[in-house]
Amino acid sequence: MREHVKGVILVILLGLFALAGALTSGTQVAYAHEISIALTLIAVALGYRIYLHGIRSLLHGNVTAQLFATIAIFISVVAGLVLPSASATGTAEAVGYLTAAAIVAFIILAGMTLEGYIIHRTRGALEKLINMTPTTARIRRDGTEVEIPIDEVKIGEIVLVKPGDKIPVDGTVIFGHSTVNQATITGESIPAEKTVGDRTFAGTLNEHGALEIKVEKIAEDTTLAHLIQLVEEAQEKKAPIQNVADRFTTYFLPIMAVLASVVFAASYFTLGFEVALARTVTVLLVACPCALSIAVPVAVAGTIGNASMNGIIIKGGTHIEKLKDVTLVAFDKTGTLTIGEPKVVEIKTFGNYSEADTIKYAAIAEKFSEHPLSKAIIAKATEMSMKIPDPTDFKTIPGHGVDAHYGNKHILIGRKMIETELSEEANQLMSRVESEGKTAVPVALDKNVIGIVIVADTVRENSSEAIQRLKSLGIKTVMLTGDNVRTAKSIAEQIGVDEYHAELLPEQKVAVIGELKKGNVVAMVGDGVNDAPALANSDVGFAMGAAGSDVAIETADVALLGDDLTKVEYAISLSRKAFNRMKGNIVYAFIWNIVALSLAAFGILNPVLAVVLAEAGCISVVINSALLLLSKPKSLAKIKG
Amino acid sequence: MNIEKVILNASKTDCTGCSTCADFKADNLRHAIARLNGVSKVKVDEITGKVTIEYDTQKIILSKITERIEKLGYQVEILSREEIQ
Repeated sequence: MREHVKGVILVILLGLFALAGALTSGTQVAYAHEISIALTLIAVALGYRIYLHGIRSLLHGNVTAQLFATIAIFISVVAGLVLPSASATGTAEAVGYLTAAAIVAFIILAGMTLEGYIIHRTRGALEKLINMTPTTARIRRDGTEVEIPIDEVKIGEIVLVKPGDKIPVDGTVIFGHSTVNQATITGESIPAEKTVGDRTFAGTLNEHGALEIKVEKIAEDTTLAHLIQLVEEAQEKKAPIQNVADRFTTYFLPIMAVLASVVFAASYFTLGFEVALARTVTVLLVACPCALSIAVPVAVAGTIGNASMNGIIIKGGTHIEKLKDVTLVAFDKTGTLTIGEPKVVEIKTFGNYSEADTIKYAAIAEKFSEHPLSKAIIAKATEMSMKIPDPTDFKTIPGHGVDAHYGNKHILIGRKMIETELSEEANQLMSRVESEGKTAVPVALDKNVIGIVIVADTVRENSSEAIQRLKSLGIKTVMLTGDNVRTAKSIAEQIGVDEYHAELLPEQKVAVIGELKKGNVVAMVGDGVNDAPALANSDVGFAMGAAGSDVAIETADVALLGDDLTKVEYAISLSRKAFNRMKGNIVYAFIWNIVALSLAAFGILNPVLAVVLAEAGCISVVINSALLLLSKPKSLAKIKG
Repeated sequence: MNIEKVILNASKTDCTGCSTCADFKADNLRHAIARLNGVSKVKVDEITGKVTIEYDTQKIILSKITERIEKLGYQVEILSREEIQ
């Protein structure tokens, strides 16, 4: 901020000196003319930043507006001091060259300062993220609570976070229960439940309960800090379209040199030296190569900033260009379109047994098993607030089920464990459930089937919305899974994907991606760890739920920090919009330059008007690009639900 | 506290050198360095590409700082290094 204040002060000073110079020249005081020249020269000198930039760009072999402006201002100053008509009596006409130089310097410097400010604001998204991290933490040391600066906190210490406070560290909850708003990381505004054993991130907001968190990562090592660094790096990465703009700018210098010489020569022989000089200066001032070179980097920064505010990390300009072309999105099923953890969805009972009985006996038998199905059953028992006693003995037979005793009761779990014939009703239920892609787990007590627990992986809440949104953009959707065809078909129908491929091994997923890439630009969405090879082989790899997993963030081209799959469409829509704007800006800047240069060459513009035009062109491009930071892609508003 | 002052040159090939672009890059660079734990002062000259950094040697080593700058796409050359406190 201090930089901008300094810039503004410089602009004001320059303006005041220029004004004072112009005013003194008309008065009758002694040495009015000399004083006027001196004041105006000071004004011109205050534009030193322009000349430093101009000279530096010359040394680096670059072409910039500042270089042309430096030459133009230099010519004007020399003309003002040397030409007989200019150094004559103190009329306004006579100091014309010098005053013009000062006004030109004023406008350019004002433009530079304004652009600098806009650019600074484009960092807004990042700054917002950064300000999320508290600078102090309340910890417990030697039995008392102390508040200390964050960089003095040590790993393994316990941080206390009150309701309404921001969490200062990455860590694990060891005491307490609360909801935490993780929007800074995931872009999702619905708060997440946090209780003992859950991970928390620095910069997220603790809502209603007090939490005690064991510190795992602080300062630069936290997830938020990593994300900020990643966004910074991404913003620095060039988009390929910039090469087009850069090519234009390299032709700029020779074209301008030729044009300026031609204009000078033509006007010199027809209209005389002074007119020729004025026109040449105007041509130099109106040229604005910067509009071409700045359009893309600012747009890239704005787009990446916008995405990061929505929990999406796009890792560079190249990916923006790839995203805009995506015609097909492939999703991994388990853990991406579905939650990835089986849940008990239905309990069917027989005879006099209740749902609670069925779950209770199943949970006793499964108590010490690590199988996902067992976990689902035990989770259900806990949900029904049951106390599960230990089994007297148990035996797990992989692929078959469990054989357990509880007191004098004999529990069998799994179709293959139960030797007796199932009833007609049970058989029908089993086949219906399996045709839906769910798993049926029969539970028998002393060889009588007392119930069937139906377990299934559940589809994420917004999976079908995500698919619908992509379809509305004309994008094809495909589901890839290692699961059997029945399960795949059932889930595919539920979500509404256009196509599915089932029973795939990880390397087969890579092959399918290869096939899909024939004729399509393919984005692949997965968890970024198990399906890393498939992500790497797609045109754009999305890792979802990537917060907290450095591997996933590292592998992906685009990381979705939360679990919201609708962000895939957001990223694509945003990129389409961003690319159109970059392209539009380049075309606009190009046309603007041609029109302005023609006007200048034919003497329709004067130097001051020329520089106003050039700055207006440049600033409009910068603003247009920077606004990508705040834009909302259209399709978001259209679809609800 | 053990403050060291380092002056280095950070250059990048992809900037055409126009002032807005240079300001933009300098701004990014300044913030990125300033955020490192242990860095107390940063000055980036957007015209010459010269970066002056003061940092606490007990909290951060120089290679960590240069690594961060390189990650942002710059080539780093250390010009001078002195202990000031």
